Amino acid sequence: MTEISKTSSGLKGLVCPDTESTEVDIHQDGVTMVKSLCYFCHANCGVLAYVKDGDVIKIEGDPDYSNHGGLCCRGTSALLHVNHPARINHALKRVGAKGEGKWEKVPYDQAIQEVADRLNQIKEESGAEAVASAGGTTRTDDWARRRFLNQFGTPNGFHNALLCWIPTFMAETCVAGWSPFETDLASARCLILWGMNPGASTLGGMDGYTDLQKNGLKIVVVDPRYSETASKADLWLPLRPGTDAALALAMLHTIIYEGLVNWEFVGEWCDGFEELQEHVAEYTPEWAAPITWLDADQIRQAARLYAMNTPGCIQWGCTWDQIGRASTTGSHAIALMRAVCGNLDVPGGDGMPGPALNYLTDEEMELNECLPEEQKAKQIGSNKFKLTSWPGYQLISDNAKRTWGKTLPTEWFCEAHGPSVFKAILTGDPYQVRALIVNATNPINSYGDAKMTLAALKKCEFLVVVDYWMTPTALFADYVFPAAGALERPTIVTHYGATDSIMGGRRAMQPKYDRHTDMTFWRKLGLACGQDPANWPWETEEEAYFHILQPLGLPGVESYNDFVDFYRMYYPPLHQNKFKTNGGFWTPSGKVECNSTILRELGYPGMPTYIGCIENEIDTPEIAEEYPIVLTTGGGFMPYHHSEHFQMQGIRYLYPDPYFSINPELAEKLNIAYGDWCWIETRRGRIKMRANVEPEVHPNVVFAPRGWWFPERDGSADLDNPFGCLESNVNVLTSVDDEHCDPMGGSWANRGLMCKVYKCGEYDKEYKKEDTQFSIPGSSSEPGVTVMPSDQKLAREPIPFEKPQPTEAVPEGYEWVWQNNALYQKDTHFRLDESGWLINPRTKGYYDAHTGWRYDAANECLVDDETGKMYTMDREEIVFVAGVRCYPGEAAAPFEVPENLTWNSDKGYVTLGDLPYVYDPNSGWLLDPETGAFHDANYGWLYDAATGHLVDESTGKHYDMSYAPVEE
Amino acid sequence: MKHHYWEPPIALYLFLGGLAGGILFLAAIFNSFVVPGYAEVFALPVLVSLACVAVGCVFLVIDLGQPGVFWRVWTTSKSIIKWGATFLVIAAVFALLFFLAFIGDAWPVFAGMSDFLKPAADFFLIVAGFFGLCIMMYTGIMLSTLKAHAFWATPALPVLFTISAISTGCAAIVLSIGGWPAVISLESLVVSEIVLEILHVVDIVLVVAELIVLLTMVLSFAGAGNVTAKAAARRWVRGSYAGLFWVGMVGLGLVVPLVMYIGGGHSAAATLVAPILVLCGGCLLRFMVVNTDDRAEIPGENRYYNRVAKNDAEFITKWTYGDNQF
Amino acid sequence: MTRYVMVIDQRRCIGCHSCTVACRTWNKLPLDIVYNPVVTEGAQGTWPNVHKSWQPLLCMHCENPECVPCCPSGASQQDEDGTVWVDPQKCLSCKVCVNACPYGMRDASHLEDRMHRFVRKCTFCRDKRQLDPSAQPYCVLTCHQKARIFGDLDDPDSEVSKLIGSVKTERLFEEFGTDPQIYYIPELGGKA
Repeated sequence: MTEISKTSSGLKGLVCPDTESTEVDIHQDGVTMVKSLCYFCHANCGVLAYVKDGDVIKIEGDPDYSNHGGLCCRGTSALLHVNHPARINHALKRVGAKGEGKWEKVPYDQAIQEVADRLNQIKEESGAEAVASAGGTTRTDDWARRRFLNQFGTPNGFHNALLCWIPTFMAETCVAGWSPFETDLASARCLILWGMNPGASTLGGMDGYTDLQKNGLKIVVVDPRYSETASKADLWLPLRPGTDAALALAMLHTIIYEGLVNWEFVGEWCDGFEELQEHVAEYTPEWAAPITWLDADQIRQAARLYAMNTPGCIQWGCTWDQIGRASTTGSHAIALMRAVCGNLDVPGGDGMPGPALNYLTDEEMELNECLPEEQKAKQIGSNKFKLTSWPGYQLISDNAKRTWGKTLPTEWFCEAHGPSVFKAILTGDPYQVRALIVNATNPINSYGDAKMTLAALKKCEFLVVVDYWMTPTALFADYVFPAAGALERPTIVTHYGATDSIMGGRRAMQPKYDRHTDMTFWRKLGLACGQDPANWPWETEEEAYFHILQPLGLPGVESYNDFVDFYRMYYPPLHQNKFKTNGGFWTPSGKVECNSTILRELGYPGMPTYIGCIENEIDTPEIAEEYPIVLTTGGGFMPYHHSEHFQMQGIRYLYPDPYFSINPELAEKLNIAYGDWCWIETRRGRIKMRANVEPEVHPNVVFAPRGWWFPERDGSADLDNPFGCLESNVNVLTSVDDEHCDPMGGSWANRGLMCKVYKCGEYDKEYKKEDTQFSIPGSSSEPGVTVMPSDQKLAREPIPFEKPQPTEAVPEGYEWVWQNNALYQKDTHFRLDESGWLINPRTKGYYDAHTGWRYDAANECLVDDETGKMYTMDREEIVFVAGVRCYPGEAAAPFEVPENLTWNSDKGYVTLGDLPYVYDPNSGWLLDPETGAFHDANYGWLYDAATGHLVDESTGKHYDMSYAPVEE
Repeated sequence: MKHHYWEPPIALYLFLGGLAGGILFLAAIFNSFVVPGYAEVFALPVLVSLACVAVGCVFLVIDLGQPGVFWRVWTTSKSIIKWGATFLVIAAVFALLFFLAFIGDAWPVFAGMSDFLKPAADFFLIVAGFFGLCIMMYTGIMLSTLKAHAFWATPALPVLFTISAISTGCAAIVLSIGGWPAVISLESLVVSEIVLEILHVVDIVLVVAELIVLLTMVLSFAGAGNVTAKAAARRWVRGSYAGLFWVGMVGLGLVVPLVMYIGGGHSAAATLVAPILVLCGGCLLRFMVVNTDDRAEIPGENRYYNRVAKNDAEFITKWTYGDNQF
Repeated sequence: MTRYVMVIDQRRCIGCHSCTVACRTWNKLPLDIVYNPVVTEGAQGTWPNVHKSWQPLLCMHCENPECVPCCPSGASQQDEDGTVWVDPQKCLSCKVCVNACPYGMRDASHLEDRMHRFVRKCTFCRDKRQLDPSAQPYCVLTCHQKARIFGDLDDPDSEVSKLIGSVKTERLFEEFGTDPQIYYIPELGGKA
């Protein structure tokens, strides 16, 4: 092609298209390869970035990373993302009315200072808690936000965490002491993918599943939709959306009552199994069948497949946390299923990593000690949803510190209840939230009840948004800050601070324009608010990450980039069967708690009790009559992720319009043809999508994908529906009413909703103003605030819980843990053993209860680890002369003394005649206390290491080791 | 399935090329064998054919993605398109020479040139007529070699196109014979009338033949054979094209002119309306055939291309790289 | 001799469109040009007894291509290694090759300058392979599922040769006599 270009160059540009090769040559001079990580979803695939002159010219999937060189649509588009013309590149200050879309570009630091001044003013006037911060899916560390909020003094940071893993994590931690979330598929025989579709969400994982399936791994998929993953499954359980709890309980029942439990494990490691057995007696497959729309035999088959093919894994799926009030009860039942089958922390089972003991956890980066107790109590939602806010976190965290030595981060795991914060903005209940910092999320599309959220964001007195794009949320902001994205920031993967392994990718290029990374934003904002610069010592992520990694002491690692270049990932050596070496699980009682004490202490049932999803034919027949079709929302679909990538033209071209799935049978009944625009309506509102008529869902179920908005539109043109953010947004249909939220975890209801579907009529095809009206919670026909959120009763009344009193007085400095009737030292969380010794739960080492000195079994002594000094068992300091332990005052030597030597009881050591040397019983040599030189024990001659001779210093004569004179 | 890669200009080109070829072919036949010696009566029909070629070529070129380099069509030796282009050029050159032999009658300025060319006029017309025949056959053969399209890949198509081309050529000659620029003598007027009488009959035969070939082709596709062709033919017979096919092409384009030809005698219906209808029918035929470019569907292909964005979607032109908004 | 072919394992494909996007991104294609669509008829059957498979498409790089001899300008051509490609410097975009292809795998963009369009098609990433002869096409590299395997059919040790020799493969529209060189390993062991 090059040759031809030369010959016809005269015509080029005139009549010929530009035909230069479009290929970017990565082998040209000056190109360096940087190991980076993708930042577009949680999978964080490995990316190799080719950099020339500080700019990335090309990226590829990293063949040596878990993605084996694969990159999905989103990852591949990273360069287009970096250079996208709609990216926000400078700090923007609102100059028009809210939503008008008139901005002034201001220097980043100036904008930060203005925001900081305003935040400080609000704090002065209304208290720090009037400032809240909403997050989305920062991938994966977000401790900087919490570090800022803690120092600022507000407990009201939150993410969509409640919809994604956190309630499950907390419930599982209540059962077994940590969430068993890491699969070990290579040795597994069975895998359940429950409410999870890696075929459209985490492709790196799907690849592995397919490989292992080929080698005999059995894959069970639980999904109401015939998803990409279900299409490859060995067994597919197409349950009614939202009935996961019933299925889990029935499977648990089957496993227990068919005797398929791992009796050895249950006998040795489970507490309260009999109670559980009794508790699940009524949850038979026959009971679950009409609820889940499955056959009882199907349920039995799945339960047997899982229980009889151990070790097996259950992969966590987002669905568990999106069913509203039925969420945590389901994941709780699944947690018990794993436990009774003995799949916890064993090879081939569900791995329980625990916190990172060898490097700094996210929690250690958060400065939680800066947040005063009274501020914790003000956390919005903590009075309602206790498991995932300060009350539950505190219990779990104290226990984790006691058992693991470290704990979970408060970010993600201890948060305000997002929808309640939005309600607080609107209603001032429980208090007025005046300022909201939105970073890495577009709440209108990502949080429940989009209409209410939109109203809250419009009403918010001071709104600051950090984002890549001008989202519908950013449109209403007072300040918009440009965020640095993939390739512009280093990325570490610590699974939200909940695991003991770490992976890292480098920054491939410096952020373009005036973009800054999230940590830089929070740091700058913190410093501008007057926070102590000593608390923000790291100017870049690289410095902070190196600080995190430094305790690993990896050879050759002098900086974060070294870690990525030489190691890229770190896994601790002991990764499985830790409960055996540890001598127990990390629960208060040291066993898997079938009847969780922490949950009971929080006022929740300790065992999973069935609760129906918010709208269903059995519990709410009156709703099912008007809204007869079951709706499931929130599922991910390629090529988008959450509400992202709708601007990426190459991706959008493939999927330009929102399509919901509807069974041909139902479509025929409703007179809907493929591609028709239809309304989907729930009690809370309606949206329109196009019909994908396909038998991938049950004839009475529709599946609507999440995230839709239309960034190509003019946002300011219609402030009731900016960028069409309500029009096709499934979160218009979801519910965040308190009584619909999970009483433990607070997750709101995305799945198992009831709806009706009808074709967009000739006169009813536009999204109208009436469609944007909202209520809290009310009905869609009654707009406005009708009920205060705090008036809402909880879905499940708390069970009164009285903490047992200790039978004996608790000594000062100790706390009593009622679950296992043990005393723990307050600061160290060491357990006071019956023997009177303190025991470190992590290392199982003994400590002296009076002094805190560690018992050193090898040397029969106590060691003060702070000073390094050693003490006898009577707590007397041990004297060392020339490194030899002395026993002053002893009548006789506590060891055998050669005949020619004498015991000096004053000094406590053995000498040869008058020589000042000390006899070392371990080596048999005499040691010179001044020089440390070795002397022979028979004659006192100096050992000359250079010649290997003994030297009589008085004569200067040399002898060999058998005392024969050596001729010069 | 993606289709309609060839747009209306190509259908028009195929129609006009065939029409021009038909005129030249018939003119050559009549001038050589039926009524030798009265070449001037064919001056205007040949001018019409020249205009058709010219307009057709314009359509052909503007349909190209790179009209500026249309001459690249003569780069290789094998391709059938190249042969078509060559036929067109040769036919056009000789037709032009033939026409120039008579332009002196109207514009004395050119009398010298006309007198110079006139002795060879018959030869020019024979060559043009021969290549006219080639063009007619080429338009059909070109489509029928594209075997990806089941509806085109049939030997009936070149036959149909050729008959239709001669038939439309007939109609065009009927409408244009014996006029400007030649000075028409009484004798040539008589010859014109004779030619018209013959053409009248010829066109009846051609229209009947076209009807037979068309119905045979479409109905046999619709009845049996290839799935894709069947689907396409069913569209013609009773689907979305049925109205155009039965009323437009078969009815107004063939049967009505046939009736007029047979029963109309020398009325305006037979001499004016019928030929125009035949021309319209021929044009419609090309449009319908070119638009029936159905490929065998790869399962799921239609669904895919129906779902991807249309080129007028707002987001496609919303952002241009290098053009930062914020 | 070298004969490049691709094997597509439909048992592994999950229809994520990564290949489509990688191809268009790195080959810098106009939006309306898709070299390698991944098509599906959707779930087939009656719920819940359904099945679904995806068919990634691309130019079949036929041994006996329809699109090469019909080209009047010689732009549409085939390399010795079997790669069929269009030289934009020669193309006049008459679209006869577009109509000749039984697989619909060629087109000229409608979003480009009206007077400077040319026919585009998959080239097995010919530009990339010219820079680095061992390079794999982008659609192959980016596939998480490893559903696309590219290689030399004339090399008996290549993965494609082994697969074609050992697994039942199918080709699209063999009846046209084009001898297509994309081999599909179907999901259900044969056309359902």
